[in-house]
Amino acid sequence: MIGDDQDLLWVIAEQAGGEILPVCLELIGHARKLAIDLGARVEVILLGSKIDHLAGRLISAGADLVYLGNAPDFEPYQPEIFTESITSLAMRNRPQVILIGSTFMGRELAPLLAAKLGTGLTAHCTNLVWGENRLLEQQIPAYGGIMTIVCPEKRPQIATVARGVFPIPDLEEERTGEIVPVEIPQGLETRVKTLKIVHSEPEGVPLETAPLVVAGGAGAGSFEGWQEIQELADTLKAAFGSTRPAVDEGWTDLETMIGQSGKMVNPEVYIGIGLSGEQQHMVGISGAKTMIAINNDPKAPVFDQVDYGIIADCRVFVPALVRKLKELRESSGSAAHDV
Amino acid sequence: MLRIVVCVKAVPEPKAAEDIKIDPVTKSLARMEVPLVINPLDRNALEAALLIKEHDEAHITVISMGPPPAGDIVKECLALGADHGILLSDPAFAGADAFATAYTLAIAIKKIGQQDLVLCGRASSDGATEWVGPELAVFLDLPVVTMVREFAETENATWQVKADIEHGYRIVQVQLPAVFTVTQDLNVPRTLSFSGIIKSRKKEITTWSLEDLAIPANSVGLEGSPTIVSKLEYVESKRECQIIDGTLEEKVEQLISKLIEAGAI
Amino acid sequence: MIDFTFTEEQELFQKAAREFAETKIAPHVPEMEENDETWDPVIKELCEGEMMAITIPEEYGGLGLGYTVRMIALEEIARVSVATAMMMQVGGLGIDPIILFGTDEQKQKYLPGLASGEHFATVAVTEPTGGSDPKGCRTTYRKENGSYVLNGRKCFITNSHIADVQVVLAMDEDNPEAYSTFILEKGMEGFEPTHIEHKIGMRGCNTGEIEMKDCEVPAENLLGPEGKGMRVSMTAISECGRAGMIGCALGLQAACLEAAVKFANERILYGKPISKLQAQQFKIADIKIDLEAGRLLGYRASATHDKGERAGNEYAVAKYFTTEAAQRAAKIAADMHGGYGCMEEYAVTRYVRDSFVLGPSAGTSDIMKVIVSRWALS
Repeated sequence: MIGDDQDLLWVIAEQAGGEILPVCLELIGHARKLAIDLGARVEVILLGSKIDHLAGRLISAGADLVYLGNAPDFEPYQPEIFTESITSLAMRNRPQVILIGSTFMGRELAPLLAAKLGTGLTAHCTNLVWGENRLLEQQIPAYGGIMTIVCPEKRPQIATVARGVFPIPDLEEERTGEIVPVEIPQGLETRVKTLKIVHSEPEGVPLETAPLVVAGGAGAGSFEGWQEIQELADTLKAAFGSTRPAVDEGWTDLETMIGQSGKMVNPEVYIGIGLSGEQQHMVGISGAKTMIAINNDPKAPVFDQVDYGIIADCRVFVPALVRKLKELRESSGSAAHDV
Repeated sequence: MLRIVVCVKAVPEPKAAEDIKIDPVTKSLARMEVPLVINPLDRNALEAALLIKEHDEAHITVISMGPPPAGDIVKECLALGADHGILLSDPAFAGADAFATAYTLAIAIKKIGQQDLVLCGRASSDGATEWVGPELAVFLDLPVVTMVREFAETENATWQVKADIEHGYRIVQVQLPAVFTVTQDLNVPRTLSFSGIIKSRKKEITTWSLEDLAIPANSVGLEGSPTIVSKLEYVESKRECQIIDGTLEEKVEQLISKLIEAGAI
Repeated sequence: MIDFTFTEEQELFQKAAREFAETKIAPHVPEMEENDETWDPVIKELCEGEMMAITIPEEYGGLGLGYTVRMIALEEIARVSVATAMMMQVGGLGIDPIILFGTDEQKQKYLPGLASGEHFATVAVTEPTGGSDPKGCRTTYRKENGSYVLNGRKCFITNSHIADVQVVLAMDEDNPEAYSTFILEKGMEGFEPTHIEHKIGMRGCNTGEIEMKDCEVPAENLLGPEGKGMRVSMTAISECGRAGMIGCALGLQAACLEAAVKFANERILYGKPISKLQAQQFKIADIKIDLEAGRLLGYRASATHDKGERAGNEYAVAKYFTTEAAQRAAKIAADMHGGYGCMEEYAVTRYVRDSFVLGPSAGTSDIMKVIVSRWALS
């Protein structure tokens, strides 16, 4: 079974609609890399109902063992049941590290676990590497640089990571691993209960997988300006994203926010319009091949972080660009091609 | 009567805070004087409490952990309508991570006495970890719902709330007393009123130090924080920006040709 | 030792006024610029926002906060909309004579409604025959069957069409040396607002004419002693009125400074922002020096007023200084914008137009100098 001297790196996985969320696979892949350095085991906890078929996928992604809770009471997510199950497993098995995706569930569950286990937690990490003595260096962007956070004494070391930070690992179908069933905790007094989940259809092109992203910031100036940028995104058939200041203005909501505590995007081409290039936003754009910025402030930090810059008032430039794009489309007689 | 505690944090004014950066020459933090404001989402939390007080008997205590300037924002909360303010201020509290912050707040809230509701913003604009609310709930041994966008049913001691999920929301039933973290969709926070400022003349702010909380020094502040910052490094940009110049038409055309080159069109 | 800073509470009032101005008034400015007669939304906000209650004593439902807080509020509101600040200032000016000279019955009758914002006030002295010379007043009154009957016309009256409580100065028909002040109410027969003026600046601020044609005013609406009405009207104008203009001017100066600084930091010429050029720096310094001086003069006068002392002279100095300074500030800020300083979308052009209206309001600069020279020579 588990060697006492072997470190355990855990990933708390999440599933929805019969599928593992991509961020979990990414975390398992990264945990695998961390595990190799240390000679550790990767173990994954997945709770839900009718999810037999998912354990194998987790193992293919790199899990040596899957704790599988497969019962109707594990669906939907119930904070007290999940916290109790995972906490008692953690107290018995003492993992070194627990990684959790920065999903809405993860952002509630992670601090509950950290508080129950009396340990530290870092949010929205953009990298995780080993330091000395099995100390996990948890990196986040801050003040224009990279801040490293560690949890020197308490265990486990817990970190949340957003989708798109780490690559999706190759799935090895032949990999084998153990599956350990997890039972519903007995005699648990619950005071909070999810009664119902109401899904809404996401609008537009999904950001995380879009090859072309247009993002707007507070420089749009007004809701009219904002709509003009949205029109550009529509005309280019691009995914449309935003910055925190734009969300704060009320022009859009958190679901479109690109950034450290929002969505990570990985497009071929990124166009940032009317945004200053604030680090919390820019760190959400990993490895875009070509980055372009349009801003009327030549001192805006964004111009240090892109390949092409245009100094212009977006209220003037964006409509002109849209006009020209539409002209081109009409004259070429065909719709713009999807990349 | 509903006893409500609202946790508020003094944060640098968000637009001005963007300017706090690492100096690329000295490689250290170029600190500046930035005005402090109430964390925007905490204003939504306070507004929720004030709306409850408009309809039912309620007593609202606002609590904040921070150095003495944080007292100004507690005063502002009293002017907005809270009944009593508590400032947790002690050099020992400094350097606290979310865990130590939540722990310190929890001890203080226990000292105030039994509460029906503990409200806070989902996250702070300068830390944005979203951890304090749930950790506070664990230390207070209370149920918690994060990202509340609407209080749907609040009739008796069991409430129903709508909380955000990725695409959509979940309806959650909670037994009070409980902790809720709230989003900006919950309400539109009121602004200061002159009569509110006049009424706040009679309201009190109590300041508590470590001694008042009667907990060991190693459970708060930097010492009580499981996580610490080990490094802060400046990072060079890897890209060289080429500015596209010319008239409006020229800029548009050049941009379009770059987009075609990159395969976007 | 003199403390030139606001108290903590005054700072809170300033914060509250700024929040109010930015969230409740600013959104209406474009519409007011577009359509000069769109004042209803901001009047509603002023009333609901407790702005008209500032100087009214608490016992009549007001906030009893005094003239310094009033000036702070006006400065914050003027920074966003001088037109709104002007209507607020003259509204307060219409309230002041009732506070100073009203009988208990009159105070009970009018002040609560004015404090709650249910009613709005103004003062009407100026006529085509004289504003700077209030004795040019040709509106007359005569006694008839225990009431007064007024005839005449007032012009350049702020809030002419909004105010339902109007404090009007008239001359005794039989004795051109005797003046009396009356409280007129909207709806009184023979009293109506007539022509609406369209000013080049402070657009959206209601300025117009009112006419009295055999308007019968009950005896209990006489404000202050009969025949001594000049003092009743002019005391309020010389203190509360001048104070109000100071608040408007300071706010406009502050706005001009912000616009100048912002543009100077963003405008790149010769490879760097023009804020690096000494000539532009000096222009900003000019605006800043005037603003610092104006604030000290204005708040010194209001502090004197709040102590219960006469402050007309101090207000005259400050009114002269700040309204002239605001005109300079607007011109400098517009000049710094170069060609953009002529373009409508740039707020600084609105500041220039607004600044013109500051000078002649509540006493022209020349009249201020008359007052100040009298003070110096006495």
